[in-house]
Amino acid sequence: MSSIPHQSTALWSDALLRTLIELRQLFTQLESSLDETAREDFSKLFEGANRLERSLESSAHSSHDQLTDKTSRHDLMNVLAAIRGYAEMLQEDVSPDQPDLGDSLTRLLMTIQTADAGGESSARVRSTAISSDPGFILAVDDRQENRELVARYLSRSGHLVVTAATGEEALKTLEQADVDVVLLDLVMPGMDGREVLRRIKEHEDWRATPVIVISGHQDMEDIIECIEAGADDYLFKPFNPVLLQARIKAGIERKRWHDREELYRHQLERNEKFIRATFGRYLSDEIVTDILERPEGLELGGDLREVTIMMSDIRGFTTLSEHLAPDQVVKMLNRYLGTMTDIIMAHHGTIDEFLGDAILAVFGAPLEREDDAGRAVRCAQAMQAAMADINAENRAEGLPEVQTGIALNTGSVIAGNIGSERRSKYGFVGHPMNVTSRIEDHCAGGEILLSDSTLQKLDGLYAVTDRRSLKVKGINQAVVVHRLVEVEL
Amino acid sequence: MNKSSPVLLVEDNELNRDMLTRRLNRAGLTVIAAVDGEQALKLMAEHAPSVVLMDMNLPVKDGWTACREARDNEQLRHIPIIALTAHAMEADRIHALEAGCDDFATKPIDFPELLAKIEKLARA
Repeated sequence: MSSIPHQSTALWSDALLRTLIELRQLFTQLESSLDETAREDFSKLFEGANRLERSLESSAHSSHDQLTDKTSRHDLMNVLAAIRGYAEMLQEDVSPDQPDLGDSLTRLLMTIQTADAGGESSARVRSTAISSDPGFILAVDDRQENRELVARYLSRSGHLVVTAATGEEALKTLEQADVDVVLLDLVMPGMDGREVLRRIKEHEDWRATPVIVISGHQDMEDIIECIEAGADDYLFKPFNPVLLQARIKAGIERKRWHDREELYRHQLERNEKFIRATFGRYLSDEIVTDILERPEGLELGGDLREVTIMMSDIRGFTTLSEHLAPDQVVKMLNRYLGTMTDIIMAHHGTIDEFLGDAILAVFGAPLEREDDAGRAVRCAQAMQAAMADINAENRAEGLPEVQTGIALNTGSVIAGNIGSERRSKYGFVGHPMNVTSRIEDHCAGGEILLSDSTLQKLDGLYAVTDRRSLKVKGINQAVVVHRLVEVEL
Repeated sequence: MNKSSPVLLVEDNELNRDMLTRRLNRAGLTVIAAVDGEQALKLMAEHAPSVVLMDMNLPVKDGWTACREARDNEQLRHIPIIALTAHAMEADRIHALEAGCDDFATKPIDFPELLAKIEKLARA
């Protein structure tokens, strides 16, 4: 015989002895009001209980050889049959006059039923079926013996059980601890179970905690009302311990699911915040939202993309800034960069970085569109067009006028989150980036220079002139660039 | 039911014998009890009980043997016997019927069901 049925024997026998102790206490209190037959039946029942205790004790110490096992099982069965017989007889006789005794006897009979089921081969199946994650259970019942009974059943299967004798006490416990399942007696003096249920389901943090209501009478309407009020499950008193375990298990699983879901939601929110923080300053809302909807999210690493790169800077700014006060430099720079940022975002460009007065922006990453090169060119035209307004404002404040040069180049770069876990940024790496920077070096103020590779990507009306070949460090082939000519459309 | 002829309860376990006797008395039946198969056959001959309730695991002479012997005995053959067999022991029930029992009740006993069986057999 394996050890599993032994464990389950311990489970029901403990419950059984507990119900017998409860019954004995009640009997002692009420003995005087019972007739002689009932008293005799009770004394016989307790005789059986004593026998049961002895037999359980000896079976716990006995060797595991089959013959002893079989004999002791047979003994046990007989004792249980006798106790059950007396309990049934007494239940019929005393229940009408002594409801408490009747309840206690019903509990005893339920436990014996479990013992009968548990004593047979189904014990193995049952004991595995109800094993579950240990949970933190709050048992609310105004009667001490019920609280003890529940605590005993449940702590045996590894649950942590706290009890509360009143509704007020239950709410206090909920405030202090993260409870997995609430076992709630409906009938209590003071704040009753229904009120406790209502408050749990109204409370933002407690709402998800499963509540199993326990009703003393088989009143379905009562139960339906509670389920409508948010109860997750119910049990009638006296409850079968196996059923209790099963419902607790289901409750804990429900709570765990909820907790996992909550955790996942928090992670998503954190991710979203991170993405908005990482991209929000450089990308339009539309693109950020697009990225958020992509399930792969933000992972370090990148992919090879064909993008159009834009680089712009203010001609002679370094020299210019040496003649201005620092606050004037910042004011001018912010005006210029602010306007440019708005224009780039309006054209769905991604700003990679600001380097002093220089802007590095990319079209085609993280999201690729068909007209990436075309948008880059239109963006550059809009930026040049905006210079007139910027300079008008500068003039009005006595600041010098500025001119910007813009270079455009198209090529394959690696786009992605580059950096370490602690500090990373969506950025771009690759030779075309450096090429763009070289082209920019050749830009005069007010000019837009674009490489041959960008020009080939354009469709529509653009006029170019001044074809030049530039020698770029690191590549043998010269880079061919064109100057964009303003065309009235 | 013939109240004058008693029910014979054959059960070696004192607790159960006691309990069932009390319950049967409560239901208005007269009960005589035996503790083994040998004694059972003797009381059947002496009292001609209306029904015998026989546990199968008995000392001295077990229930099956007692049952077969009663069936072979001209005088006892007509007395109905209900075998009390252990719960979930399918083989025992088949054995009991083969040995000549008229019916069986499994332990733990469903008492109302047992009463119905007694009544049916005692009437027949």
